[in-house]
Formats: sequence, C-alpha cells, structure tokens
Amino acid sequence: MKVKNNSFSGGYVFNLEGKPQDKVVELEIPSQVCIPLKQGFGQVVEPTVEPGEEVKAGQIIGKSDNSESTPVQASVNGTVKEVTSKAIIIEADGTSDWQPVEGHGSDWTSMSAEKIEELLYNSGVTSLDNQGIPTRYQSSSISTDDVKHVIIKGVESDPYNLSLSALLQDGKLSQFADGLKILHKILPQAKVHVAINKNRQNLIKELSNLVGSNNWVQLYSVEPKYPQGSDKVLIPTILGKEYTVGGSATKLGVIVFKMQTILHAYDAVVEGKPLIERLVSLSGEGWKENLHVKVRVGTPVEAITNKCLNNGNYRIVSGNILADQAVTSYKYPVTREFDNLSAVPEGEGREVFAFVRPGAKRASYSNAFLSALFSNLSSNCDTNVHGEERPCISCGYCEQACPVDIFPHLVEQYTAKSNVDDELIRYGIFDCVECNLCTFVCPSKRPLGKHIKQGKQFLMNKGYAVK
Amino acid sequence: MNGLRGLFDNLKNNESLSAFKPAIEAVDNIFFGPEEVTTSAPHIVDKNDTKRYMTMVILALLPSTFAAIYFYGWRALSIILVSYMAGGITEVLFAMIRKHDIHEGFLVTGLIFPLVLPPTIPLWMVAVGSFFGVFFGKEVFGGTGRNVFNPAIVGRVFLSIAFPVTMSTKWAKPVTEGLGRLFNYAIPADAITSATPLAVLKTGGVEALTKSTSYSELLFGAVGGSMGETFRIGIILGGIFLIITKIINWRIPVAYIGSVFVLSAIGNQFLPQVAPPMYQILTGGLLFGAFFMATDPVTSPFTKSGMWIFGIFAGLLTLLFRTFGGYVEGVMFSILLANSITPLIDSVILNAKFKPRNDGVVYNEN
Repeated sequence: MKVKNNSFSGGYVFNLEGKPQDKVVELEIPSQVCIPLKQGFGQVVEPTVEPGEEVKAGQIIGKSDNSESTPVQASVNGTVKEVTSKAIIIEADGTSDWQPVEGHGSDWTSMSAEKIEELLYNSGVTSLDNQGIPTRYQSSSISTDDVKHVIIKGVESDPYNLSLSALLQDGKLSQFADGLKILHKILPQAKVHVAINKNRQNLIKELSNLVGSNNWVQLYSVEPKYPQGSDKVLIPTILGKEYTVGGSATKLGVIVFKMQTILHAYDAVVEGKPLIERLVSLSGEGWKENLHVKVRVGTPVEAITNKCLNNGNYRIVSGNILADQAVTSYKYPVTREFDNLSAVPEGEGREVFAFVRPGAKRASYSNAFLSALFSNLSSNCDTNVHGEERPCISCGYCEQACPVDIFPHLVEQYTAKSNVDDELIRYGIFDCVECNLCTFVCPSKRPLGKHIKQGKQFLMNKGYAVK
Repeated sequence: MNGLRGLFDNLKNNESLSAFKPAIEAVDNIFFGPEEVTTSAPHIVDKNDTKRYMTMVILALLPSTFAAIYFYGWRALSIILVSYMAGGITEVLFAMIRKHDIHEGFLVTGLIFPLVLPPTIPLWMVAVGSFFGVFFGKEVFGGTGRNVFNPAIVGRVFLSIAFPVTMSTKWAKPVTEGLGRLFNYAIPADAITSATPLAVLKTGGVEALTKSTSYSELLFGAVGGSMGETFRIGIILGGIFLIITKIINWRIPVAYIGSVFVLSAIGNQFLPQVAPPMYQILTGGLLFGAFFMATDPVTSPFTKSGMWIFGIFAGLLTLLFRTFGGYVEGVMFSILLANSITPLIDSVILNAKFKPRNDGVVYNEN
C-alpha cells in the first residue's frame, strides 16, 4: 500500500530527555480505588451499586441508558465503600482476576454489528477519546451512519508520548489490525486513516502488510511535529484543508481515536476484557525509571508516585505538558483517558549566568544554543520561566511556530489590554487550537496562550459561538 | 556566589534604595536567572530569553568591534563605553521613573551606534548622540517594542545634521599591517583624511573608484569609513551567524542587498555615475545596515511579504540617495524612511491576508 506523507506549516519537534522506554510493568492492585462516574466522553452516569456490596472487576457499577454516556465498570474485586454523585470508592481484596463481558469470542468475523456494539458498550470502551465510539446506545455525539472518516493517531508528536513500540509489542500489532477490522464492522461506510510517526517505518511496513489489502484503510506517515497530534491540526493535515474543524469534528463526520482505544476494542470483543486497566507511560526526569505501567482504573496517582517517583520537587502532568493541567493532588485517580504521566523537575533555583551558558543540553526554537549543532542529543526541561516578562519585540517566532497560521503576537497585543472586539475574529482568534506553542517559544516570556484564551472567552461571553 | 546572592537580596529589600530597584534588579538578573516557575500550561518554556537574544547579536558584532580597535586604536573602545554609559543612564532614568525593569534592547543599540560613527569623533558628541537616540528614538514612543525608528539610526542622523563637518569629512586611514593600532590610543592628526570610497565615487566618478580600491581592500577594511562598517568580511560572517541562529530573518538582508545589486546593475547601464553592483554593495554602510540595523525586529515588518517590500524599498532609496543626493552615503536615511512605512506595510499585508470572514463563527443575540 502506498503510504501518504503530509504535514502542516509551523510546529516544533521536541527531543526531551526522559522518554519512556519499552519496558512494561504491571503495577500491583492498590488497596482502594476511586472510580469517577464521568470518564472519557459522556455524561455522569447513575450508580447501580450500594455501599457494602461485593463487586467483581469488570462488573458494571454505573449506567445511564437514556443519556449520552457509557457504563462505568469496577476495576478491582472488592467491596463498595462509598457512593457519591461523582465517584464510587471500592476497597480491593487484592485478587487480580476479572469478570469477562458476556458474548465475547474469537469468532468476531461472524459476529453481527449489533453484537459487537453491545460488547463495546458493556465493556466501557465506547467512552474513550474525544467523541467516544458511536454505537446505537448513544455512546457518542454522532450516530454510526454519519461517520464518514475515522482517523487513528499514533503520531507521537507531544513532548512526552506513550511509546508505540511498547504499546504494540508481543504481537499486539496483529491485534491492532484485527481491531481496525472490528471497527469496520460497526462503521462499514467510514474510511479509516491511520497516521503513524514517520520515524517508525518498520511499524508502518508491518501494518501495511497486515491491512494493506483492504481498500477502506489508508496509512499516513507524518512527521512528529508538535502539535500534529492535536485533533484540530491532524484532521486538516490528513483529510485536506476543506476539513477545518470549527466547534467539533463530528459536525464534519470525522472521529479521531488513539491507538490504545483500538486495542481495548479488540480486547473487549475477542477476550471479553472490560476497560479496567490502562497502559500509562511514565516520562520525564522525575521518575526513577522511565517505563510503562499497566494500571487499574481508579488507582490513585500516589500509588504510582510512592513507588516510582524520585525524591525532590516535581510537577506531575497528565497528558501533554504544554496544554494539559498539572495533577494537583496525588490522591487523584488514574482515569480511563490517562496515557502519560510526566514528572517535570520544578526549576526553582536561580541559575548563575543563566543566559550565557553554551547549552548543549538546552533545546530552543531559535538555534541560539549549542544544542542546535548536536540535534541528536536530547535536552533537559524544567518548569523555570527562564527569563523575565518583557514587551513584545515582534521577533516572529510565535507566528512561525503557530500551526493554524494566525499571528499570536498581534492577537495578544489587543487581548492583553482587554481591547477585545469582533475584529479579532477576522485575525483568526477562534482558529487557535490552544496548543500553547506560542507561549513556549516567546523570548519575551509573554503569556500568549493565556491571553488568547481569555480573549476567546470574552467573545464567547458576548455571544459569539463557533459553528 | 552565596555571598553575591545575599548582597543582592539585601539591596533589593533596602527601603531607601527602592527608587533604584530597576538598576539593582538588572544587575542581579545578569548574574542570576529567575526563580519563578510556570503556574499553568504550558509547564515548560523555551530556554531562550531576550538577554540571550541580544547576546547573540553582540556576538555577531564582535568581529566588527575588534576590527575597529585594531584599525583605529583603543579610542574606539572609549567611544563604545561612552555610548553605553550615556544611553544607559537615560534607560535607567526612564526605568526608574516609569517603574519597570530595564529592558535589554539597549545592549544592542549601545554597540551598533558607535560602530557607525567616524573614528575621529569627539567623545562628548558620542554622548549627545547616544542620549538623543535613546530618548527621541525609543523612550518618547513608549519604550521597547513601541518605537517606530531604530534608535541607533536616529542618533546617527541627528549627529549628521547637527555636526555635518565632523561627521562627513573627518575619516581616518586605517592601519592594516602587523598589529595595526593596538598599541595606540588615538589616531595621529596626519592620518585624518576626508576620502572614503564613496566620497571618491561622488567626486571622481566610477573610474576613480575602480582604479583606487580593489575588492579585497573593501572586504578586509583597508579603506576609510565608519568604525564598524569597514571590516566587511566580519559583518557578513556575523550576519550569517544571526540568520543561522534564527535571530534575524533572512528576507530583509537578502531583499535589501539583492535589490541594491540588481538595481545598480540596471542603473550602471544607463547612468554613468552609478557604481557597478559589486562596488555598490561593498562600499559604505550597506552591509552593516542590511544585517544589523534594517533587521531590528521592532522597526521592521513582521509579515513575510512585508519584509521583502521593506528591503526593496530601502534598497531603492539607498541607490537614489547615493547617486543623486548631496550626502555620499544613503544607507542611514533610507533605513530611517523605510522604518517609517513599516506600520503601513504591515497593515496592508494583514488586510490582504485576513479577509473578513462570515464562516465558522456566529453571533447569538441571547
């Protein structure tokens, strides 16, 4: 199969130290899990268990058939300790077996689409990713007939990513290929596009051998430039400029999934495994070892940090360290959407002569450090601001880096002074995908992303809405 | 280092010195990086900051600076120091009155300004020019990021108009063998001359210029001119360094130098007084102006097409001033005029690029 090669203008390729290695370790069952009743896509579900009840791993403990939602399962065997409107707390008994979903089997090729949809719904897999997996159970905001394109992303463009080779080792690539075919059974009219990091040519070739004969699949080899993995940037890159996302991609008939979602779908249909466990990568310099852990859903983050975090001051960020929020309390549970936990060192010390260091291990958007000469060396990162806030000098880095071709410094000039009116819509303020790359590259350390977001909020409060 | 840290903390917390806080913090920030951390997404930021940005420009200017000292003696260093002090005091006063930090842009202005002055200039004139440039070129417009004109050029143009004789006739022959003037302080009176290659061109025509100077003399600085503009090979290397490190955009120097080259090649065919292209780009302050002064990010356009228009406009004006104007050198005035139309260029390009849209965003009256 011919593999297509697309990209977008702008962006920045990250090469940070602390990338997760391909080792996978299963974390032991915690003593207590906290299962939120709203995970992934969907509304909050009603609990179906009482405190004191014995539950098995995989048993549905929260379900709302009449709303756009997906059931929530218990992730461990044990007793329900507390039920609130937001979460269910279960005391685990330490056993690791799980109750399979009824109706699963390895004969998925002969299963009907309705049967597969039921398996995916009851296992909780339909809640994954930004729009969920559409089934007839209202698990997604789009119905199965309206889906025209499905994009599976394995771009690895974020500063820290789940490693594809760790996800797909031990023969999981053929399971992934089967997962694509399972998806094709419930969305037969949709064209499937798989976008993979172009540095993984072996993976692309193997996948091409497995699914290449099907005409509803197309493979793409994309450069892992941040923010290629962001939905709003990926969809126009893969499908063309006509597919510019306004409010939601589902209005264009497009759904985006991560690769782990397809593996979960295969597990649910063939092995009956409900969504009780996630593969989470531990990235960044704060962990003792950068590996991947298999974690039960609902495990508190402190179960991971107590075992794997170094001594010292680190900031734990779930997801993308440029766009997502930090985990403020370690009691917060690992939910279904987690796939990366980064531990970034807090850079609180005052560095001596910080601005004249040659910087072989300091990467920068400008090539002003020695790291520009040694591009294969990975660089350190910390949370220090690395400079005082200064007025904008129109250096142009933000507009060069911006993936959606707006001029961040122009928009920020007005929003910083709260001088917001609808003229800014013309300059593309609503095109912004909030990747925060402009804030990252600014040498004057201006809070560009924050001000642009405030400007958008101001306009939305005034009554403007994105179609 | 702990002692230094303690000293700065004491000075910053001292109540009676609170008026001088910008100056104390500026010195503190040279020695120590900031201690603040990011509060929300993005959690990491680029390690480059404005101090390093300006340091890169100073690094690129170092070949010209050392050449100035080599050709014209240690007085060149005094001129640079006076320029930094006079402009620096102005910057510090404004920072104290306006109660904001001292901004790093002056590090570059303070070095570019003396490098475009003749080496025989009296020190008091340097101080007046530096003060004028910082005050009327930058601070009255609102400070860093808001100025329309390049402050170094404003200072230089002011000196050219206020003190025309010193600025246009008192050039010096550089010493280019052995250790140059490294053992001298000032230039001896008998080396003062009024002939630079462009002056020879103006009085004697193209023939006189091509007979008296060769390309290598122009490239390696064996001719008269302002202190920093003669060592042209150093300027070219510095400019390429800045383009590789992405400090300046390549479009402006290419547009400026390219348009001078092309237009003078055409002009040379029709008008006898226009110098041929290679001489045109190797004489005068063109290379210095194109790489270091026209590329100032605040005063040049930020749109890519705007940069081309800016460069071509400045190139055309340079040729017009050199050929038909009364002054022998046209670079300073043409960059000044090009700076003045930068906002217009940007707004025309933005209007063309961002058409009013009625797709994608709706307005609900509720």
